[in-house]
Amino acid sequence: MKKFAGILTGFVFACCMAASGVAGDTIKVGLVDTYTGPVTTYTYDVRDGFKMAVDTINAKGGVLGKKIEYVVRDDTFKSDVGLAMAKELILKENVDIIIGTINSATALAISDLCKKEKVPFLVTFSKSGKITGEKGHRYVFNMNENTDMIGRATATVFAKKPYIKYWIAGDDYEYGHAIADSIWNHLKSLNPKVQMIGQSWWKMRETDFNPYITQILAAKPEFVIVATGGGSMVNFQKAAQSTGFNKRVPFYQHTGIELSTLMPQGQNAPEGVFGTANYLFYYPDTNENKSFADDFQKLYGRHPKSGALYGYMTAQFIAKAYGKAGKVDKEKFIDALEGMALDSPIGRLEVRACDHQIVLPMFFGVTKKSPKYEFLVGGDILSVAGKDYMPTCEEIRKERAK
Amino acid sequence: MGLSRTTILFIVSSGLSLILGVLRIPNIAHGSLYMIGAFSAYSVISFLGGGGFAFWAAMVVAPLIVAAIGFVMERGFFSYLYEREHLMLLLLTFSFALIIGDLVKILWGTEYRSITAPGFMQGSAEVFGLPIPYYNLFLLLVGPVIAVFLWLVVNRTKIGKISRAAAVDAEMVSAVGINVGWVFAFTFVLGCFLAGLGGALIAPMTSISLGMDHSLIMEAFLIVIMGGLGNIWGALLGSLIFGLAQSLGILAWPQFGIVFPYLAVVVVLTFRPKGLLRSAW
Amino acid sequence: MKWKYVTPLLLLAALAAAPQFLPRFHTYILAIVLLTGLLATSLNLAIGFGGIYQFHHAVFYGVGAYGTALVLTRTQLPAPVGLMAGPVAAAALSLVMGVICVRLSKLYFGMLQISLGSLVWATVYRWYSFTGGDNGIPGVPVPGWIASSESAYYYTLAVTTLSMLALYRIVGSPFGKVLQGIRDNPVRSDAIGIDVKAHKLTALVIAGFFGGVAGSLFVVIDTSVFPDMMFWTYSLEVLIMCLLGGMYTFFGPLVGSSILVLLRTYVSIHIPYWHLCLGIILTLVIVFLPEGVLGYAARRFRPKEGRLA
Repeated sequence: MKKFAGILTGFVFACCMAASGVAGDTIKVGLVDTYTGPVTTYTYDVRDGFKMAVDTINAKGGVLGKKIEYVVRDDTFKSDVGLAMAKELILKENVDIIIGTINSATALAISDLCKKEKVPFLVTFSKSGKITGEKGHRYVFNMNENTDMIGRATATVFAKKPYIKYWIAGDDYEYGHAIADSIWNHLKSLNPKVQMIGQSWWKMRETDFNPYITQILAAKPEFVIVATGGGSMVNFQKAAQSTGFNKRVPFYQHTGIELSTLMPQGQNAPEGVFGTANYLFYYPDTNENKSFADDFQKLYGRHPKSGALYGYMTAQFIAKAYGKAGKVDKEKFIDALEGMALDSPIGRLEVRACDHQIVLPMFFGVTKKSPKYEFLVGGDILSVAGKDYMPTCEEIRKERAK
Repeated sequence: MGLSRTTILFIVSSGLSLILGVLRIPNIAHGSLYMIGAFSAYSVISFLGGGGFAFWAAMVVAPLIVAAIGFVMERGFFSYLYEREHLMLLLLTFSFALIIGDLVKILWGTEYRSITAPGFMQGSAEVFGLPIPYYNLFLLLVGPVIAVFLWLVVNRTKIGKISRAAAVDAEMVSAVGINVGWVFAFTFVLGCFLAGLGGALIAPMTSISLGMDHSLIMEAFLIVIMGGLGNIWGALLGSLIFGLAQSLGILAWPQFGIVFPYLAVVVVLTFRPKGLLRSAW
Repeated sequence: MKWKYVTPLLLLAALAAAPQFLPRFHTYILAIVLLTGLLATSLNLAIGFGGIYQFHHAVFYGVGAYGTALVLTRTQLPAPVGLMAGPVAAAALSLVMGVICVRLSKLYFGMLQISLGSLVWATVYRWYSFTGGDNGIPGVPVPGWIASSESAYYYTLAVTTLSMLALYRIVGSPFGKVLQGIRDNPVRSDAIGIDVKAHKLTALVIAGFFGGVAGSLFVVIDTSVFPDMMFWTYSLEVLIMCLLGGMYTFFGPLVGSSILVLLRTYVSIHIPYWHLCLGIILTLVIVFLPEGVLGYAARRFRPKEGRLA
């Protein structure tokens, strides 16, 4: 009996021990991200932007004479799955770099793993400030904005506005609170007159915002900061539109004017919503941006969103850093990447040496209907340059020392 | 206040209550059927190009699709397996939930969908100076209508009475010469129809995505057990308690708001483990 | 040397030698197989041998893991305390939940347990300041002597072997036999004077304890905990492992969990539709092989063998 058990277990186990090829003649990148659920609107763009860049680079001969090869894994937005996949990519597939994911908790867990295994990890869509702040280390780089940056940039814009009585609301999880706290703390320090007259926090994936909207309207704030995460952006805007919330009190959402948020709603998206975006395919109207957007549209049949920019630039930085390093060595790659600056569709972007954080401009605007497109766009765009709001290296050092 | 979600919970739970009460099947796939209802509604509305007609069509077609799937499930599997233990049935329905979950992924892709309420239902009415979307008011009307309809079916129609009898003693019912199999099939299909209807109704209010089955099924189960198996008013009561507990919880202690409904369930089950109202078994 | 000891000893020797030959990834997977096997076996004590509808066993796994993780990250207490704290917390929770649920039976027990378990899950999920909320706790500092993947593996092997041995003895003991009697005929057991509730409660606490041990092992191997570990879908997956391997055999759950963990790991790499595969496998097992792999094998190859195989 036990014999049978033993034999069976051994057999099943042996069957599964597929030997994986050891890649010596390619640069292997492991991409762990969420390809299930509402966030795919962001993550598909990251993958596709990355692919577009890699295909172009490989067509020109690759990097150091080697092609860039990449392996993709779906973490289904679960941290344990993401961590297990990162482990598999590192231990079994022997990848040279890991990139991904949109879930901040997963990103932090993978960051910790990469620190232990000494494999570079480039974060593509997670926005927790902890990634390059408190929990930053040599092996992790953040290739998109973080909640601290969002807060600072937004605060610089709102400090100049006349609103005094604010209401803060959002998704009740780490990302929501991080954005709200960051915005509020920095706003208050820039403009001490502002007051927070109340807060509302709803569970993630909340579908019924009416009780909260009712509560907020009853308090009559002058402005509302809505810290929703990717999964709730559209739902909240839908609720705002159907209750006329956007017409009764102005409110702000990070990524409120981004394509991912506005496109699914078509002409029914609410107007007059304040929002930020890290990439808009129609602004700035430069040749670089136009050609990037056109190339992407030709390849994939849709306009690029911010994820596409992150994916695209991540590939460019990887290629250039290996080129500068001279060989496929993880430590040399990191040294080369620190402080590197490259041209992008929206201008020159730098990966800071002190904290491995990419410095991005932020675009602020207000939603409005457009004669050109069947979705709303951001109007009255104001762009804030990275150097005007980034935390200093000294502040980061203090964060990590905690 | 959160009553529109309560309506949806009620509709889905009443379906589950019927299935669990009459057929004694702990149908974990009920959440997946709800999800198919939502996705189907999306497809129908997109196919018909949106607008009022498309909406009403979807509200009828989507639940019918789900009911058809239920029919296949019942005739193909459950009718052969009624005598099995609850545990086996539960795991079988769980396997269906897994399969359906991935089938939805295969058929509709992993992107999320969004549909809006038809034009005439957009916007909101002023009730005591606060905006309540027309769609929510619509749901508030639909809930009681369905409740009354179900009560009539279960208590006043012949097939309803037979299924109540079959829930208590199936052997006896077949001994009297009635084809219990078809009664069970009818009840199961009705339950699935309700699940699909719940999914279709909530579609304009939320993002339609994978994973909506998991979030709903546990709540539906707890509501059904709380209310009493096979008891429509029990499902209504359970949904109200659940929804109320959640709203109050959020007001009282926002951080742990979602804990309150579970707490309510625990309290109810501790003192009345068979549910608040009469159970079928 | 009794014949029936040879195979497990051989297996044990193979497992002990494994890290020397296998790439690190396989050692990691093997460790996960072992601790999941322990988890499934602990569940089976309640459901297979006790007939108790333990629908939310993952709660004890999760509490065991969180207990260990919290002690290791938030206190300066020595590591062994942390490693024990998890299982003890799980056992304590099991006792509390058991006392509330034990007077119910079958489906009602299961549902009440699910609601209590969901309560625990919801609390952990929202309590950021203490449990890390929906982020979980990554990067738990595991003590140096079990930090490397090899030493972590050996630790897991040792603890799993000892725990399985303990569970084996429990199942074979008079207590275990009475428990099975209660499973088969609770009314009769009660009639001959057995305290049915006390036995069930004890079984639940033991099952919870070893579920917690599995959880603490996970912390050692993976150095992180997540609230998904105690979500009801995982409870059902563990139940599937028991069913697949054979609920009425001792090693069934271990076989079932090995198959599932290995399949899940290797299938998910190639096909994004793991749940579909799992659902189909489960359906086939329920319809054609309800006694599970080992149960079937026991019947085919040794028709006269008793319950414990």
